Amino acid sequence: MTRRALSLLLLVAAAACRGGGGGASSEGLTVALMPKNKGNPYFVSCRQGAEEAARELGVKLIWDGPTETDAAKQNEVVEAWITRGVNVIAVSVENREGLSTVLRKARGRGIKVLTFDADALPDARDFFVNQATPRGIAETLLEHTSRILGGKGEFAIVTASLTAANQNEWIKEIRELLASKYTGLKLVDIRPSDDDRKRAFDETQSLLKAYPNVKLVMAIASPAVPGAAEAVKQSGRNDVKVTGLGLPNDAKPYLKDGVLDSVVLWNTQDLGYLTLYAANALARGTLKSGATSFEAGRLKSLRVEGDNILLGTPFTFTKDNVDRFDF
Amino acid sequence: MTDAAISRSTRALLLLLAVELVVFGLFGRNFLTLGNAFEVVRASVELGLLALALTAVIATGGIDLSVGSLVGLCAVVFGWLAREAGLAVPIAAALAVLAGTLGGLLNGWLVTSLRVPPLIVTLGSYSLYRGLAEAATGGVANYTGFPDGFLSLGQGTLWGGIPTQLPLLLLAFLFFWALVHRSVIGRGLQAIGYAPEAARHAGVPVGARLRLVYVLSGSVAGVASLVYVARLGQAKADAGTGFELMAITAVVLGGTSIFGGHASVPGTLVGLFVLALLQNGLRLADQPAELAGVLTGMLLLLALVLSRERKPS
Repeated sequence: MTRRALSLLLLVAAAACRGGGGGASSEGLTVALMPKNKGNPYFVSCRQGAEEAARELGVKLIWDGPTETDAAKQNEVVEAWITRGVNVIAVSVENREGLSTVLRKARGRGIKVLTFDADALPDARDFFVNQATPRGIAETLLEHTSRILGGKGEFAIVTASLTAANQNEWIKEIRELLASKYTGLKLVDIRPSDDDRKRAFDETQSLLKAYPNVKLVMAIASPAVPGAAEAVKQSGRNDVKVTGLGLPNDAKPYLKDGVLDSVVLWNTQDLGYLTLYAANALARGTLKSGATSFEAGRLKSLRVEGDNILLGTPFTFTKDNVDRFDF
Repeated sequence: MTDAAISRSTRALLLLLAVELVVFGLFGRNFLTLGNAFEVVRASVELGLLALALTAVIATGGIDLSVGSLVGLCAVVFGWLAREAGLAVPIAAALAVLAGTLGGLLNGWLVTSLRVPPLIVTLGSYSLYRGLAEAATGGVANYTGFPDGFLSLGQGTLWGGIPTQLPLLLLAFLFFWALVHRSVIGRGLQAIGYAPEAARHAGVPVGARLRLVYVLSGSVAGVASLVYVARLGQAKADAGTGFELMAITAVVLGGTSIFGGHASVPGTLVGLFVLALLQNGLRLADQPAELAGVLTGMLLLLALVLSRERKPS
């Protein structure tokens, strides 16, 4: 019985590995991509973009990583990739310091290393595929604000917390642009939401009462978008609109209601697509340090600043395109 | 629990290991290399330490579900002491092992004094220890920036590429092998697992023995947490999540009866490497890691089928 059970197992194992044996042939490149979390829809859409690019370029793509956010697993997967031998490793980094050690080891073995979405320590990778700069986010948010208000009027911001580093950088850029470019727009108040939908709801309600002339609420934290939109919706004020930065799934119902005009983020599919193009160029030697621009297939020419490859202007989700996304 | 049965289950397990080597040798890239062997060992040491200590616990018919959580708690204790409180690394490390020992002592005390079944006790401490680690750090504090000398415990190599932590695993193996298979204490442990009342009447100090195995399990979890922190370079409350179940799987796969009364320390080590090679081999064959879960489950069920004839009582 032992023998029968074992031969059955052998069969299963062999079937499981079928097709996996070929690996990187001498002419084709093998690129290994790792998300923070394989199950997160945000990364699932990154994967779709990466697969699209892999087909276009004829590159073998390995996509693996933790099934839930797990720093230890990321290390183990990179270790296995170093042993296996791949041309490029690209990672969205969960644990900066811990993973950087392993990434440095990979570079020491001649493997090119990229990070995307979340960076490692700068000396542990060749390039970081950066999805958005503070300037780019501020520009896009104000473009929408100006369009909605017709270039003139008062608006208020609902932020994450008053000390949130990312948000404060965006606000700084917004203030600069208000002074130089969008002089007709007036920012009257900034309220915290502490990344809490209910808090954003309460703050938006009191904003609408305190500033009757405010015609737009800009919610710049993911949970603040539905919170602010719900408050405006319940107020019944048809003359007030919401825009902001957040996840399309949170925004979907309010975009369809018309309360929420638009929500800005980056196109995660394009992020995966660009990462694979960058990996390919890096391995083939066409992308070197010091480059200032980079051709990435259907994304055309993108800017490179130092060791950051920029995905470019943030992506705007509206009621017309939001159904194509699920994260 | 005859000698023939033991060797039969160990033989089957070694055969499994051989099957893995052949299959992944054919389909995995660079699988059969010394470098890969060392990486597999490096990644398995923490789990191996826990599994060895658990073998002694399970020999008594007990279980310790809290070891993974204890790894998290000790990691946080160590990280806080070394990075926030500014203690020297060796002192912080000793205190982290002490924290693990105390955690094990609490388990042992509850099991022996209150006569609560170990499954219930350690299910409680499983939540308690992880909860403490998370509460102390808010779940977000992540201690990093440990000195290189400490990190080399997890990332460094000895002569010719041997992972620094391998001697630790071998030491633990020898200790638990001698304890379980070559000492009076070990025979007592298996006697407790086989029939606690009979062991008591035969003069085995049941309470003291049980406290010993839980304390050892806690101390070992403390040591494992240090290796873990050194390997990843970070101490966070989520350290060691899920390790308890992986370690128990290795023990049961290795032929130790989950009902107690019969244990195999060498079997645990083979069971550990069967699991570790499965994960590693699948990755090198470009297969998704989820498949490892499916195959681990199949292996475990197969091991249970193979050991059916050995069910005690």
